[in-house]
Amino acid sequence: MKQENIRNFCIIAHIDHGKSTLADRILELTGAIDKRELKSQMLDSMDLERERGITIKLNAVQLSYKKDGKEYQLNLIDTPGHVDFSYEVSRSLAACEGAILVVDAAQGVEAQTLANLYLALENNLTVIPVINKIDLPSAEPEKVITELENIGFDKKDIILTSAKTGQGVSELLEKIIEVIPSPKGNKKDKLKALIFDSIFDSYRGVITSVRVVDGVVHKGDIIKMMETNAIYDVVGLSINNPKEKEVEELHAGEVGYLYASIKSIGDVHVGDTITLNSDPAEKSLPGYKPMKPTVYCGLYPIESNKFEDLRESLNKLKLNDAALTFEPETSKALGFGFRCGFLGLLHMEIVEERIEREFGIDLIATSPSVVYEVELTDKTKLMVDSPTKMPKRELISKTYEPYVKCSIFTPSEYIGPLMELCQDKRGTFLNIDYIDTERVTINYELPLSEIVYDFFDRLKSSTKGYASFDYEVIGYKESNLVKMDILLNGEIVDALSVIVHKDFAYKRGRIVVEKLKEIIPRQLFEVPIQAAIGMHVIARETVRALRKDVLAKCYGGDITRKKKLLEKQKEGKKRMKQIGSVEVPQEAFLSILSTKE
Amino acid sequence: MIKSCYIHIPFCENICSYCDFCKLLYNEKIIDKYLDCLEKEIEEKYKKEKLETIYIGGGTPSCLSINQLERLFEILSRLNKDENIEYTIEGNFSSTTKEKLLLYKKYGINRLSLGIESIDKDNLKFLERKLDTKDVKRKILLMKKLGFNNINVDIIYAIPNESLEILEKDIDFILSLNVEHISTYSLIIEENTKLFINREKNIDEELDFKMYNLITRKLKRKNYIHYEISNFCKKGYESKHNDCYWLNKKYYGFGLGASSYISNKRITNTRSLSKYLQNDYVSEIEELSNDDKIEYEIILNLRLLNGIDLNRFYSRYNYNLLDAFDCNDLIKNNFLQLYKNFLRIPEDKIYLSNEIIVKLLQNKK
Repeated sequence: MKQENIRNFCIIAHIDHGKSTLADRILELTGAIDKRELKSQMLDSMDLERERGITIKLNAVQLSYKKDGKEYQLNLIDTPGHVDFSYEVSRSLAACEGAILVVDAAQGVEAQTLANLYLALENNLTVIPVINKIDLPSAEPEKVITELENIGFDKKDIILTSAKTGQGVSELLEKIIEVIPSPKGNKKDKLKALIFDSIFDSYRGVITSVRVVDGVVHKGDIIKMMETNAIYDVVGLSINNPKEKEVEELHAGEVGYLYASIKSIGDVHVGDTITLNSDPAEKSLPGYKPMKPTVYCGLYPIESNKFEDLRESLNKLKLNDAALTFEPETSKALGFGFRCGFLGLLHMEIVEERIEREFGIDLIATSPSVVYEVELTDKTKLMVDSPTKMPKRELISKTYEPYVKCSIFTPSEYIGPLMELCQDKRGTFLNIDYIDTERVTINYELPLSEIVYDFFDRLKSSTKGYASFDYEVIGYKESNLVKMDILLNGEIVDALSVIVHKDFAYKRGRIVVEKLKEIIPRQLFEVPIQAAIGMHVIARETVRALRKDVLAKCYGGDITRKKKLLEKQKEGKKRMKQIGSVEVPQEAFLSILSTKE
Repeated sequence: MIKSCYIHIPFCENICSYCDFCKLLYNEKIIDKYLDCLEKEIEEKYKKEKLETIYIGGGTPSCLSINQLERLFEILSRLNKDENIEYTIEGNFSSTTKEKLLLYKKYGINRLSLGIESIDKDNLKFLERKLDTKDVKRKILLMKKLGFNNINVDIIYAIPNESLEILEKDIDFILSLNVEHISTYSLIIEENTKLFINREKNIDEELDFKMYNLITRKLKRKNYIHYEISNFCKKGYESKHNDCYWLNKKYYGFGLGASSYISNKRITNTRSLSKYLQNDYVSEIEELSNDDKIEYEIILNLRLLNGIDLNRFYSRYNYNLLDAFDCNDLIKNNFLQLYKNFLRIPEDKIYLSNEIIVKLLQNKK
């Protein structure tokens, strides 16, 4: 394919604005896929993605389209739709020259619409604005056109589509060819290929999704990853149309998959540049960032003999989830597990769910924590990603926590409740931008830890789901932080400790002990539950001792049935973790997150 | 060797609100057919062992007519009986007439088990039972006069809205009867009962526990021995039939919904009358592995206040229970006790026996 006939583009949108459905329709229209074989949302290959309606992993598909007698190669790169995955989004954008910005005709412009748009502009992409779902009875395309005009688009460039009915989609394809530039790179230059995704295949090892920027990569080439310096033989190259098809080479401008018997998972980093080992490029492609998790939590197998299985599953997940980090950790309460780092809460939930579902390991997740910075009295600085790593109070001179700039996009009627929420979350008001008379963006600075801690839920409930939000980490600020411990039966349960702002500790402590009282079943002993800062107990509840647990009547005929009852009771215990003499259900470890009062 | 036999008579004149046993409303014609099938089941399965206990339970066996009872006893007369057999029949007071008692006598019944449950008006209303306390007193005297010297009465407590005072009156009444054996059951709201359907809730655990203590205290003061979670008796009057269950011995169970423990199987009969009447008796067979047997042994033995006889356990399974299960913590915290080579749950903890047993079974090494 001539380079000038290639178009690399992605689709960006706020969650649920119909990105994946539009991709399906494009696949169907270019004949890549038959209507009959079209599983809904073809590109989302994981079950979990389809269920949650979120595209977690990137995917690239090659399509061909004829216009004016010329054949074009369209590479559609799907992107994750959630704020947790903004780095992955940025890398897939870097693999494109153009982006389709999809806006729901009923919902209009939302927080991530803007965030994604800015990201696309930063990557110098040509953006085609699309108003989708115009078939909906609640669609208000005129209103959305105005909104798009307000953020700098020209009305004549806006395309109206219904991915559901197919309306407007061919017009969109024409527009893609017309306005998105062909790739710029030079086939003759030294090889530079951007890794924008990787997945693990049990037969072929790590498969990387690459965009060749300059030069050509052939099957059999010896390649080098410029950041990790790993060297491999290219075993195979392929494209996805959307069935996998092997190719001999990929040249500048093209997008495809490269596999090289890569077993060492640490060698493949999203954002890294692949070059030829024998004739390497001088500089790697710009924009590489080592992944920095913002949220950490401990993951422990409920059955302690599953520790190695858990390691294995994390290793496997890491193969197609470059952002996931983990290292072994020991908890007095929970035994052996891993301290895992995630891009955000959703990312964390997805990883937990995949481990439980795909690898069949029951997990206990400790409460999530951000990374705090601690300055000791001797002036040394320390990064603390787990409450257990928090130094003793007398050794600390200052504590800092990460802050985010948070933009909440909302109908103006919810300004009041949202400001209240942000205030409650220790936020500092920055400003309000009016998009139009009914929609505003409220900007706040908030501690990241407050976002980790039930912000989403409360945002949703205080705006009936109408507000959306986006955030970026802006750095550290000094904050009066303390470690709050939870004691069960007089013993600190390390896995339940949290770092909290001192002024909020009492309230959090109360909520947590009350919640734990509900969750922990009555046992043979009375179980005192305490929240404490250092030696100082700030809240206390007691789970009273079990008084009655007996089968009153148990006659001959009932014996089998009663034994089954005891079996069930025994099974139930397997789902609990024995901490000292106390049996603690799984949910307890997340109770620290709950704010239901 | 099987030495015990249970016979189920699933008929009642009245269905109590809490009952989840296998029972049907009294119907004369069906009872005749039922007895035919029962006879057939016994003929098919009974291997002529000499029985040391027979227990006719229900339902309300005493609600059968004289003729039906006679027919039942005729069927059972073909069972070989040890000369010291304990031969029990259950019943209620109103249907246990002098005529029936004489019939019992004639066929060798030597133990009676009768439901009182409560004498309190509200309790009886809640349980949907009827009881005439004068009749109870009169009948007990009659039974004793006729030579029945092993009588059990049942009491139910922890009934919603019941107070300790009400319970105390029930206990006093029962004590006044001076019977040999008393069974005390804390009300469980089982699925498939009227109470469950009416969404009745169990009373507070604390009150339940206080009631249990009250019963234990009062009965013991009158020299009743607390020998099993729910059972008390005068010295020497432990129910041998129930001991067969608690000692995990084998037994026959004939009749609708009855269960048996024969060779390596625990068998539960169907609860469907139509199936039973077509001689399709069995609904469930549990094949027992050695581990299952051991679990049953522990679960059942620990219902007895004496607990598990460790020598007997060794002779049955060829290993030491204490080697196979880690009991140290439970013993240390006094949830289990070692006493004269018995492992037992102390009396003040027996109300927690489920939790203790489950923990013990979990600690298998």
